[in-house]
Amino acid sequence: MKRERQRYILFKIIKEPDIRFGQKEVINSIWQSIWRYFGMKIANKIGLWIINLNFEKEYGIIRCSHQTKYIIISALSLVQQINGKRVILSPLKTSGTIRSIIRIKNLIMNKNKRT
Amino acid sequence: MPYFESRLKVNIKDFDEIEKKLEFCKKLGIRNLILEPVNTFKQISFELREKIIHQTKLNIYFRYNLTPNSVNDFKNAIKNYNNFPYILSVESKDKEIQINAARDSRVDIVSFSDENILKTLSQGVISLTKQNNSFIEFSLAPIMVRNKALQSKNFRFLYKFIQLAYKSKANIIISGNFDELFDLRHPRSLLSICHSLLDIPLNSAKKIFMDNPKLLIEKIQNRKNNNSIESGIRLIKGGELN
Repeated sequence: MKRERQRYILFKIIKEPDIRFGQKEVINSIWQSIWRYFGMKIANKIGLWIINLNFEKEYGIIRCSHQTKYIIISALSLVQQINGKRVILSPLKTSGTIRSIIRIKNLIMNKNKRT
Repeated sequence: MPYFESRLKVNIKDFDEIEKKLEFCKKLGIRNLILEPVNTFKQISFELREKIIHQTKLNIYFRYNLTPNSVNDFKNAIKNYNNFPYILSVESKDKEIQINAARDSRVDIVSFSDENILKTLSQGVISLTKQNNSFIEFSLAPIMVRNKALQSKNFRFLYKFIQLAYKSKANIIISGNFDELFDLRHPRSLLSICHSLLDIPLNSAKKIFMDNPKLLIEKIQNRKNNNSIESGIRLIKGGELN
């Protein structure tokens, strides 16, 4: 069987400064969004996996199958709140390897630091 | 990549709010932004325009929206917008006004942003906008409602009418038009929603979010140039290209 290709998505977490939530709540809200907008037929093709979530630096990296890249981007964009608090999960960049997504993440973080 | 957020309403009397919205757009990574002053029919002053543009590194453009109540109202209002240096859009439920707006070369966008106005889109308006090289605008703001039943209804209407315009090969622009800060999304995310939920092919979705707003901006810049007759036709002096 041919190995399934993966995509790594880097996204930004935008929230009010004093609001805190955990990794479990983020993954639940992403799954809820997938279920709400795409249903079981698509949900079983996604292969969602959290690689990294950093609430201090406000970014996250998730992995999904390459066929469902746009579905995950839409699902992330359609998340409106976590635990009743307004939040935006804004996709920044997609990559085929974990190495390049981390390189891109570092570039973006350094650029943000400078500005 | 030059993605455009084609409509962000701002209250020009409240500069702090404008500043806040621009900062939020910057945080989201939006680079090209078309601002629409609300609650005013007057042109934005030169000083304020410069202040907004210099406030941020984003590329800021301006648009005005007319919401006439009758055809006469529209005809009277449009007289003041000859060679208007900004984008001019018209938004109305009335089909007669929509047809007049689509026919008028001074109107750049016929807007169907509101969910109630969206239902009134007809093939006639689409054909007229195509003839006139103007644009039809849809907005994704109605999908951000929290009520599931209302949201699915809005998705259905958006799907139906965007597909109607897309299949008729209309010049489409899709904007966010979100009122609340936390409803704002990067156009790249909106593109993805259009592709995965509204069945617009990826290349066409990219054209809608990148090329069409760019064409619109170029159209406005050509209008400012007195030597420009229409898109692609420009008067030159003695054969010189300056």
